[in-house]
Amino acid sequence: MIVGKAGAMSDDDRAGLDRRSFLGLTGVSAAALVLGTGTSASAAPGGEGRVPGDPFGLGVASGDPEPDGVVLWTRLAPEPLAGDGHGGMPLRPVTVEYEVAEDERFRRVVRRGRALASAELAHSVHPEVRGLRPGREYFYRFRAGGYLSPAGRTRTAPAPHQRGGTLSLALASCQAWYHGHFTAYRHLAADDPDLVFFLGDYIYEYAINAGNLWRQGVSVGPVHDAETQTLEQYRLRYALFKSDPHLRAAHARAPWIVTWDDHEVQNNYADAHSQYGISPEDFERRRAVAYRAYYENLPLRRTSLPSGPDMRLYRRTPWGTLADFHVLDTRQYRDNVPSDTTAGGEHTDPRRSILGEAQEGWLLDGLRRSRATWNVLAQQVVMAQIDRDTGPGRTFSMDQWDGFTASRDRVLGAVQREGVDNLVVFTGDIHRHVAAELKADFADPSSRTIGTELVTGSIGSDGDGAPTDGYTGLWLSNPHVRFYDGRRGYVHCRLDATRLTSEFKVVDYIERDDAAAVSTVARFVTEAGNPGLREA
Amino acid sequence: MNTLVKPVQRLTATTGIGWIELAWAARSYRPLVDHFAVYGSPDAAFQPGPETLLGKTVYGRFRHAELGPTGRTWHYRVATVDAAGDRSRPSALLRATSAESVTVRGRPVAVIGSFDSKSLELALAPAGYQQYSSRFPDGADYVVGASSPSADWPYLHPGPADRWAGSKAHTFRLRFRLEGVPARDLVLAVWLIDTHASIPGSLAVSCNGSAVADVELEKGATKGSLQGDATLPGNPLRPSIVELLIPVSALRVGDNVLTLGKHAGSWHAYDALGVFEPAD
Repeated sequence: MIVGKAGAMSDDDRAGLDRRSFLGLTGVSAAALVLGTGTSASAAPGGEGRVPGDPFGLGVASGDPEPDGVVLWTRLAPEPLAGDGHGGMPLRPVTVEYEVAEDERFRRVVRRGRALASAELAHSVHPEVRGLRPGREYFYRFRAGGYLSPAGRTRTAPAPHQRGGTLSLALASCQAWYHGHFTAYRHLAADDPDLVFFLGDYIYEYAINAGNLWRQGVSVGPVHDAETQTLEQYRLRYALFKSDPHLRAAHARAPWIVTWDDHEVQNNYADAHSQYGISPEDFERRRAVAYRAYYENLPLRRTSLPSGPDMRLYRRTPWGTLADFHVLDTRQYRDNVPSDTTAGGEHTDPRRSILGEAQEGWLLDGLRRSRATWNVLAQQVVMAQIDRDTGPGRTFSMDQWDGFTASRDRVLGAVQREGVDNLVVFTGDIHRHVAAELKADFADPSSRTIGTELVTGSIGSDGDGAPTDGYTGLWLSNPHVRFYDGRRGYVHCRLDATRLTSEFKVVDYIERDDAAAVSTVARFVTEAGNPGLREA
Repeated sequence: MNTLVKPVQRLTATTGIGWIELAWAARSYRPLVDHFAVYGSPDAAFQPGPETLLGKTVYGRFRHAELGPTGRTWHYRVATVDAAGDRSRPSALLRATSAESVTVRGRPVAVIGSFDSKSLELALAPAGYQQYSSRFPDGADYVVGASSPSADWPYLHPGPADRWAGSKAHTFRLRFRLEGVPARDLVLAVWLIDTHASIPGSLAVSCNGSAVADVELEKGATKGSLQGDATLPGNPLRPSIVELLIPVSALRVGDNVLTLGKHAGSWHAYDALGVFEPAD
């Protein structure tokens, strides 16, 4: 791969061109061409333009907004479910053009450029657009081989010192495509959020067959009846999940900030450790292809381009003075599952970390430096202590922050020490809606509440669900857990300088079809300066 | 084929009864390897292609399984496919032969069931495990010549991880007579149609009170508790074979008892088991 000088403009910065000139970009010099990574490609060869059919079946997306730009994404795939994972594309590079406009009809185009879609990255492109104005809405689209993509809407972050304003955002996680329709995304998109956080389990690695295909009205071929392990299998799995039109619509509606959990690689993995008897050396090979497929299929900046089995996913998105979003990766660097899982045993070892030393230092530094009203951790697994024994004993999950109590103590200790008044944690993983308060001492219900955790239920995983289920008592027996619901859905939040309003949205079923209505099953207010949950 | 994509190096094989496992050395990250395609044939002159593709893996090893009890000779080549879809030339050819089961040419001394990849002739098969605790509260106690497989040897051997069987260790006994001291070690063959996928546990074998072996079982598919025929096309079962020596020193003229203890993990499902005198 030939890459240009880091930091160079990744798009041409001519403004005000009309749609006709969008179609006439073949004369643009190679210097304006951008590799799929978004890296300037001043010396890169150009790709050809032909594609075998409409290549935009996987949709378009944007993500990681900054005050002056966003990253755009698409992946060319005229035949998304082609068995080799290349989406029906020829293996040669193809040029993709993109443009960004201030209006939905693309009359006021402000940025346009090219990206080179290569087979090496499954013909995905991640152009990073700069030079946009802060805190405003934009529209974007792609063109390749004579085909025009659907348009997407995106938004830049406010200017660094901009005060006030309201942010509408949605939380989503855990989308087992085979368990049901992504009805929740239909409603999420209709809410028109400014920003969507995806908190892990975008795909699942499991074989899909009659035993777990609860989504009615679809069938899958034998190629999907295998646990994903090779790159072509992971690529194919993303294509299958993105076949849901509501997922594509939600991506097109707002910029996403994504992080992963375990199922993007394998259930319950920890760093290089599989829990299924695969050697670390082999598991890293698998992690490398899983991370590559993740990058290829999501709107991520080039700072997240994987290198072998490693990928930098933790990052920070400031939103004016309103909020600092600290996006965490609690999978890649965590210590392995302890051999002794007794409560109070090895999981409390002060040397254990769910973040790894570097990320933990980065987070504590970010919390210390933050001047934002709200500090939000966007991450995967439940941070609040959850005693899973409803009797006199104590049992903890070793997969959640309970398995790494010293890590949690260090983070929550810094929150108290540094005077982080408004800590909010966004979480996924458990397929259930939960709202909890983070305590200075979880063993003492009367201790100070120092933060608020909003756990979004699943979009698809576990099928229809019900308001209460076999886990309701377990969760609600923990006094700092204020709310539980076992249905599928998402969380919608409104954030301003004085309060965070969180609404837990559910749909009653997802297996039969995508027609279920949405309802708000709980609403909480968290006031700035007064952490915790107040029913509203 | 792309000369930048390198074929694997140092292709080697280890073998067992019914399987040949290949391993190799390869650089996986530059360029990123999508998978290794493993090709094989009994014919040394085979050409790698869709008809000879045995499987794909991202790991540095591949198990060619379900080769049957007879020793089988296969020839292998491995090609590397990178993230861009480019393929290496195939690796050098490797020849390997799987081990032969004692059931093929050995003389049966005491046998329960048929070595046919089916559990169907055993008690409670193929799915009656919920009756196990009432029918076999103390495990199985099988006397060759007096007991019958369909009544006295359950198809499923539970372990302490099985709540449905009391969350305890379970010991099965096989009693048989020897009219004379054998000239050499005998072989115990335990064929399984399936084991638990994540916690197959181990099998502790002793003979007349002397510990013989504690064998870690291979991971199966957790389907053998409900299905009993691993010969059906498309069946999900994952059979495995354990064969181990019973030393002459542990045997005696007259009555002998072999105990099979499951002190760790979950269940395994039998195909058949037996004691054999190996062929010369």
